[in-house]
Amino acid sequence: MSVEGMVGLSEGEKEFIKGGIAQDLRSDGRKRHTYRPIYVETGVIPQANGSARVRLGATDVIASVKGELGKPSSLQPDKGKVAIFVDCSPTAAPMFEGRGGEDLSAELSGALQRCLLGSKSGAGAGIDLSSLVVVEGKVCWDLYIDGLVVSADGNVLDALGAAIKAALSNTGIPRVNVAAGAANDDQPEVDISDEEFLQFDTSGVPVIVTLTKVGKHYIVDATSEEESQMSSAVSISINRQGHICGMTKRGGLGLDPSVILDMVSVANFVSRQLFDKLDSEISAAEADEDES
Amino acid sequence: MEYVSPEGLRLDGRRPVEMRQLRAEIGVVAKADGSAMFEMGNTKVIAAVYGPREVQNRSQQITDQALVRCEYSMANFSTGDRMRKPKGDRRSTEISLVIRQTMEACILTNLMPRSQIDIFVQVLQADGGTRSACINAATLALADAGIPMHDIVTSCSAGYLNSIPLLDLNYVEDSAGGPDVTVGILPTLDKVTLLQMDAKLPTDTFEDVMQLATEGCKAVANYIREVKTSFFCLIVIWDLCYNYC
Repeated sequence: MSVEGMVGLSEGEKEFIKGGIAQDLRSDGRKRHTYRPIYVETGVIPQANGSARVRLGATDVIASVKGELGKPSSLQPDKGKVAIFVDCSPTAAPMFEGRGGEDLSAELSGALQRCLLGSKSGAGAGIDLSSLVVVEGKVCWDLYIDGLVVSADGNVLDALGAAIKAALSNTGIPRVNVAAGAANDDQPEVDISDEEFLQFDTSGVPVIVTLTKVGKHYIVDATSEEESQMSSAVSISINRQGHICGMTKRGGLGLDPSVILDMVSVANFVSRQLFDKLDSEISAAEADEDES
Repeated sequence: MEYVSPEGLRLDGRRPVEMRQLRAEIGVVAKADGSAMFEMGNTKVIAAVYGPREVQNRSQQITDQALVRCEYSMANFSTGDRMRKPKGDRRSTEISLVIRQTMEACILTNLMPRSQIDIFVQVLQADGGTRSACINAATLALADAGIPMHDIVTSCSAGYLNSIPLLDLNYVEDSAGGPDVTVGILPTLDKVTLLQMDAKLPTDTFEDVMQLATEGCKAVANYIREVKTSFFCLIVIWDLCYNYC
């Protein structure tokens, strides 16, 4: 998801970036597999059921989760529904003005849906959809996950994945009391509680690790300058058990299959650290939110 | 419905002439030339300024001054009910135009001919007074970008409910159907640059409500000055040099 055309680099700068990556010393001093410092804040949008803001260097994204009651689809009456939309704010780049950000937004939304939501039959979703059902076949929760890219400096997809994970851990689904004796009604009476909330279970939610290939090496968490020099990138979504939940390859240059398998194992290794870092950041953020 | 209780307290516990809590932060978007976040109570907006830079569309280039463009967008999650279309609707287009005209009036555009200044405002949370919060955020973002201006622009809104003028309406008070007066001023020059009102008011009451909104603008200006005192020394020097040279 590079914002190409935005970054004006001279030949010397390009060589510097490529050379640095080859020598495992990037422009900002990081090694190839090191993430930038991650800052997580939860509960930034009080009106939403759950929200989080993640800063990864200069990349700043906000994710919010809102639930509305709806009817489950007839194909999957025992599951709720989740929809993911991403919007690229023009504050991130002037080219996102008007409809300029639509292409990137669609690409990001698609990648996130692939990684977090299951197949068409509903199986294999990172989010447990059956916990969203209220009355089987009649009433379920529709979760709308909205991502907003406020500032983009590379690796927006990973930041959005982390923000969605944090927002989901911050999400409280109100308890719904179904009116008794309404078993035969098409639309049973429901009473949404204002006080009781069910915390969402996010242990199965994966993180996304994007590996960007520059020259012969791959780097994790590329800045937009580094992304402008990439030949291809693979984004892999991995959960805590080490299972791959989704994959996307971008960039025109072809990759040898052995390279892709190697990237997957590197992503697996990196995701361990990312999970630990994210979990500690999320619990610190929630503790901060409780205090304030 | 009662918007002001008999003790004189509004729905959120404020007095009629009390503003919501203000909070500003500068430099929130690292890649922008200037950016700021402004909060008025629960209304939260981010403004980013890109420019002065080369005009993207040659046909719009102006030979003797800078081209100022503005876009206002609301996040999907900014309002209570989720919005389907964050930009392009009529209200967003109108507010973009209003912000552009207000900021264009205060930027010294003839110092930057044939260039373009883009102001992008993104609403993160909308709880009434988004127009004012956007103008205040845009002012700070322009100052952060170092763009020369005649003066800062501050804005605030006021209304009239239960026969009492109320300062800085929130969403519930704004939706009550009473009048909503939005004022934007240049505080040092003491000039009004933006004035909008909807619904209807008797003329003398209008003067009171407008005066209240203007007082609110001055309070915002004091807050902004505290946030960025050093920047305004620079801008005043620019203006003096321009006027007296």
